[in-house]
Amino acid sequence: MELLLNCAMLLVPPIFALFLHNYFCHGKMSSAKKFVYFIVDGGVTDILMYVLLWVRNIRGNGILRITVSHKLELMLIGCVFAFFVALCSALIVEEDVTVDKLSMYLKRFANDLKKYFKYAIRSAKSDLRSEVANAYLDWLWWLIEPFCMMLIYTLIFGVVFNASEEYFPIFIFSGLAMWSFFSRGLNVSVNIVRNNKSIISRVYLPKFILYFARMLVNGFKMLVSFGIVVVMMLIYRVPLSFKVLYIIPIMIVFFLFTFGLGSILMHFGVYVNDLSYIIGIVLSMLMYFTGTFYSVGKRIPEPFGELLEQFNPVAYFIASMRNALLYCKGPQLDLLLTWGMASVVLAAIGVYTVYRNENAYVKVI
Amino acid sequence: MGNNEIAIEAKNVCINYRIMKNVTVQHNLFKKHTQEDVFEAVRDVSFTVEKGGILGIIGKNGSGKSTLLRAIAGVFSPNSGSIDLKGHTVSLMALGVGFKDNLTGRDNISLSGMLLGFSEKQIQEKMQEIIDFAEIGEFIDRPVRTYSSGMHSKLAFAITAMLETDIMLVDEVLSVGDERFKKKSLNKMKELINDKSRTVIIVSHSIDTLKELCDRVMWLHDGEMKEIGEPKEVLEHYVDFMNQ
Repeated sequence: MELLLNCAMLLVPPIFALFLHNYFCHGKMSSAKKFVYFIVDGGVTDILMYVLLWVRNIRGNGILRITVSHKLELMLIGCVFAFFVALCSALIVEEDVTVDKLSMYLKRFANDLKKYFKYAIRSAKSDLRSEVANAYLDWLWWLIEPFCMMLIYTLIFGVVFNASEEYFPIFIFSGLAMWSFFSRGLNVSVNIVRNNKSIISRVYLPKFILYFARMLVNGFKMLVSFGIVVVMMLIYRVPLSFKVLYIIPIMIVFFLFTFGLGSILMHFGVYVNDLSYIIGIVLSMLMYFTGTFYSVGKRIPEPFGELLEQFNPVAYFIASMRNALLYCKGPQLDLLLTWGMASVVLAAIGVYTVYRNENAYVKVI
Repeated sequence: MGNNEIAIEAKNVCINYRIMKNVTVQHNLFKKHTQEDVFEAVRDVSFTVEKGGILGIIGKNGSGKSTLLRAIAGVFSPNSGSIDLKGHTVSLMALGVGFKDNLTGRDNISLSGMLLGFSEKQIQEKMQEIIDFAEIGEFIDRPVRTYSSGMHSKLAFAITAMLETDIMLVDEVLSVGDERFKKKSLNKMKELINDKSRTVIIVSHSIDTLKELCDRVMWLHDGEMKEIGEPKEVLEHYVDFMNQ
């Protein structure tokens, strides 16, 4: 078990580096070339990881003696390194990949975001308005729906399964708000290009804007839920500390992560018809491992509970948010930074993928 | 056309469609990737349109006319070659409408306008004009999914007709709606097309319309440009060819 983990820690980032390198040059690598770059890119990635440990004063055989959670964290950082290593080596050796192209993509992203930001907001607003236009209770539904869900879960898990935590209703409610933002986002992303066929077949718009607009809708609903959380906190007289401010970086990283993952899924959703079933299954499994209505860290036996809470990204975001909001505890900063970088990498890969392929979307659907 | 300023410049445009694709997960996991068939919808087409010019495109079904038009509108970019619009704004007027079904007509006007590159203020100014022209009454504040197909196309027409772009691409919509609206839209269309500052490309099967409106005609056949030039000549050749 220990050996397996050590191998994974050293091998996963290099494999990821090779995969990315291959991806950046459009998958046109021969086997021999793959082998060479596995050694080169992978080697550099591993060396970087080693240097990082050295800087942190873990030297020699120390790498084998660090705790499991540190190993996983190292693996995650390794994957982030792998992205930059693969990018640099692709920039140097591949003719297809140039600095000009890279800066073109960056500029295009910045321009598109600026140009279509207003559209995204307008579209999100209209969507929200239309969602409630036909219901008698109008916008109250945004309050009632999550509130009822919270009551159900509190009843089932608090009373039937006896899984109570301190401030249990708020505990559930805040977790639920974030979880629905995440799961709604991913569920929508898979079919988003198909569902907007009528628009994208008539006018150009960067396809990630479609998803971005949808995220704004979900984000607004999450915000409403958090409004209730604040009210509930007042009622329960939850003590606050300045650590509440950690919620801001946590939410930014969470948003980025959802955006990155969603834009990658959005791409595959165009080509793979039945992806939405798989997403549904994976999401419902993930929901139970995310601790929306129980504390993963406390309920699942050691060491898996703690690991799950740190390396299931959604569980990590939710747990850190609850700690900051309810229990006056700040997040593990190095881990938050790592997840932040991983999310940036994910978003970069996602946007790149969508840009590279969006031309073909209209022709396929 | 006194001025020779060029509004649209297309150079060696090729557009491919990949046939197959659209697979299932099972297909992805258990079958080897098949060689993709590539279908060339448009092959090596080059042309220019002067500012204010009116170009007609004719050709049999499936000859790549609409594909070319969509490429000019920027819906997708050509696989090779280039299309340069010299910074002009462009809108595509086609059957089948680009609306979000659950939003109201008013919201859809705003969103379509923004995608065409207009600011919210400009759209607000034009809003009443569009609503008046579309003649759909109080339906403007109801979701588009409740519209009849006639209302759909009336609203779509009104949006593209009122939000005037420098370049207008018209795909087979020279008349929509009932008789009265048909007449009105055709007149509006002619007014827009004959505006000397506007560049227009019209795709149509109607020889008479093209003869009447265009100052040049391009004949596409199986994705290749067969002829481009004076409407009368090209259309004659086309008719001869089709009658064979």
